[in-house]
Amino acid sequence: MKFPSVMKSVMAGAMLCAGSASAQTEIEWLQWFAAENVDGFYESLVEEFEASHPDITVKLVTQPFGKVRESIVTDSAIGLGSDVLGLNMPWTSEFLEIGLLEPLDDYLARDDNSFATADLVQAPIGKIDGQVWMVPLNAFPFVMHVNMDLVEQAGFTAPPTTWEEFSEQATAIAALGDGISGFGIPLSSQPPANGPILTFLPLLYANGGRIMDGTTPNFDNPKVVETLQYIADLNDAGALAPGAASRTGGVDLEEFIAGRTGFLISPGVHAQAIEGRNADLNYVAAAVPNNGTKAYRVHGWELGISSGSDKKDEAWTFINFLLSKDVNARVAAASNALPGNLSALDIVGEGAGDVMQSQIAILANDEPVEELRQAPNAVGSWSLMTEEMQAMLRGDQTPQEAATKVQSRWLDLID
Amino acid sequence: MSRVINGLKENGTPYFFLLPCIVILGALLSVPLYKVVEYSLYDNVIVERNPTFVGLQNYSNLLTDSAFWSASVNTLIFTLGSVIGHIIVGTGLALLVNAEIHPRAQTVFRSLLILPWIFTAVVVALNWQLLLNPFGVINYGLTEIGLIDTPIDWLGDPAFAMWALLLISTWRGYPFIMVSFLSGLQSIPKELYEAAEIDGAGFFAKFWHVTVPQLKPVIYGVALLDLIWTFQLFPLVWLTTGGGPGRSTEVLSTMTFRQGFVDFEFSQAATTAVSILIISAAFTILYLRNEKQKI
Repeated sequence: MKFPSVMKSVMAGAMLCAGSASAQTEIEWLQWFAAENVDGFYESLVEEFEASHPDITVKLVTQPFGKVRESIVTDSAIGLGSDVLGLNMPWTSEFLEIGLLEPLDDYLARDDNSFATADLVQAPIGKIDGQVWMVPLNAFPFVMHVNMDLVEQAGFTAPPTTWEEFSEQATAIAALGDGISGFGIPLSSQPPANGPILTFLPLLYANGGRIMDGTTPNFDNPKVVETLQYIADLNDAGALAPGAASRTGGVDLEEFIAGRTGFLISPGVHAQAIEGRNADLNYVAAAVPNNGTKAYRVHGWELGISSGSDKKDEAWTFINFLLSKDVNARVAAASNALPGNLSALDIVGEGAGDVMQSQIAILANDEPVEELRQAPNAVGSWSLMTEEMQAMLRGDQTPQEAATKVQSRWLDLID
Repeated sequence: MSRVINGLKENGTPYFFLLPCIVILGALLSVPLYKVVEYSLYDNVIVERNPTFVGLQNYSNLLTDSAFWSASVNTLIFTLGSVIGHIIVGTGLALLVNAEIHPRAQTVFRSLLILPWIFTAVVVALNWQLLLNPFGVINYGLTEIGLIDTPIDWLGDPAFAMWALLLISTWRGYPFIMVSFLSGLQSIPKELYEAAEIDGAGFFAKFWHVTVPQLKPVIYGVALLDLIWTFQLFPLVWLTTGGGPGRSTEVLSTMTFRQGFVDFEFSQAATTAVSILIISAAFTILYLRNEKQKI
């Protein structure tokens, strides 16, 4: 049987098309970054990648931050997990226990990487169980955002640098009245109920304390109690915004943006929201006041590869693209954060504003601390901290009792 | 065999039409239901690659867990309080909007009063958080009229959080009762009121001896339905208080979510979900029996 020549041509064309289509691999990138960033930035980044890698397409799956953790777990359980995962360091221990992450050591050892491993922010790439599980897309130290108008109205000329100065200024600002508070501490139980890791941990680290002893919770230690006592004293002095137990992180940020709070301890990345929404605010960012130790809680957006992915090489190709110096500098600038690849720091720092310069100075001078990556049941643990700190601020228990209860409940949780 | 086929040809048409519904219900209800019960019999699932069958161990753990009993008591308070609140406010407003006033005003009031039902739980939660904030309008108003000296953290104080939640739930849920009772009120023959008036009955006498008995079937059915819905209500509580402060407003539905998606204890969460299912099923049977009696 002979095919007519037209038919042959059609078949040949179809086979060619099929050939080129099958050569293109689609990878999925689950993250929350695009939901919190400049409109369309990540979409254009994906387009740029696809243009330079015609054999790979990237499906950008964007969810709110609070949803990503549960999606990674449930999607993976039913075999629908994404290939590249947006990660948050506190999730690490839980994800490793479930076996969700692919070790990245072999990928990091490749000669053709666009970056040097030594240039990456070190906290996320610290080994757990002898292996590296994630790489940093960007980084933001926790800083203290300062409303300079309120500081000056209270009779001071510069932001506080020590606990003593902080206490003095926060109390004086609260005394201005008219609904003004010195400092807000968001201890709402409403999810993610992460107030303690936003405000308590940065103060603890600036006091030289820790909540972990290796991979074991160690919450009832003297430094923790001392820091809790400091917060309780601020509360007794009237420096804290009322309603801590119903104050969410979002409300805390909004109150600062609206000029009703003197100080806000939160990631430096919040500068974007503060400057964007209230350009009239006389605002600076400074290191969290310390009690003898110049240390900061380091946080950021991380990237990992799903252990269940059958496109790991393509996933790494995409991660490699995101960590290349120029791209990473743009990613950092788009979220007003520091780059995960520190070789891009000079590009980000060039012409950057005061807030970014403050973050760069903190990065250069202070010690980074990240404990939650190795903390078991980290998400459950900060709910417990929230509940016990609520009770402490109500006066139902002492800082020592709060610390003891968190420790005991946390150990029960991981039992 | 041929008899069966012939029988199906003759009588099978109704079942054929029912088939899509049965398949959809089977897929959407039976399978998840079966999976939840199955999950509750393992040590842990989803995060556990090789789950171990533990029989009723999770149920035993649940029944000896003080957090479960505390959440059960909270659920009971929240459910009964909400349903009573819905009925009291819903009935009162149904009577008001049923009053003979100018038709245009009647339409305006009916439309306005149904609004809380239209808002999503997120909007309701956010608005009430702002209203109940220590710097919010409610504290301002209460301070101004001298009812309180200092602002109260309504959603952050364990002494007030459940009351605040009941207020929000009542506000959100009364329109369903109002609409249901309104249709019931409109079906009561006017002659009954006229006869009662001739007998010298006042407003309250007419309400107790005419309105309530006539509405009884509606009240029972609607209250049961409201009970079933409120018993398993999740978004409003989760978005308003997250079960806090502490666990003072933790109900069984929020406890299930916490066990599942905060602690990744999916089997324990499934066990709590089954306990909710059993109680909801009991209410549902009561409701269905009540509906059957009406027919």
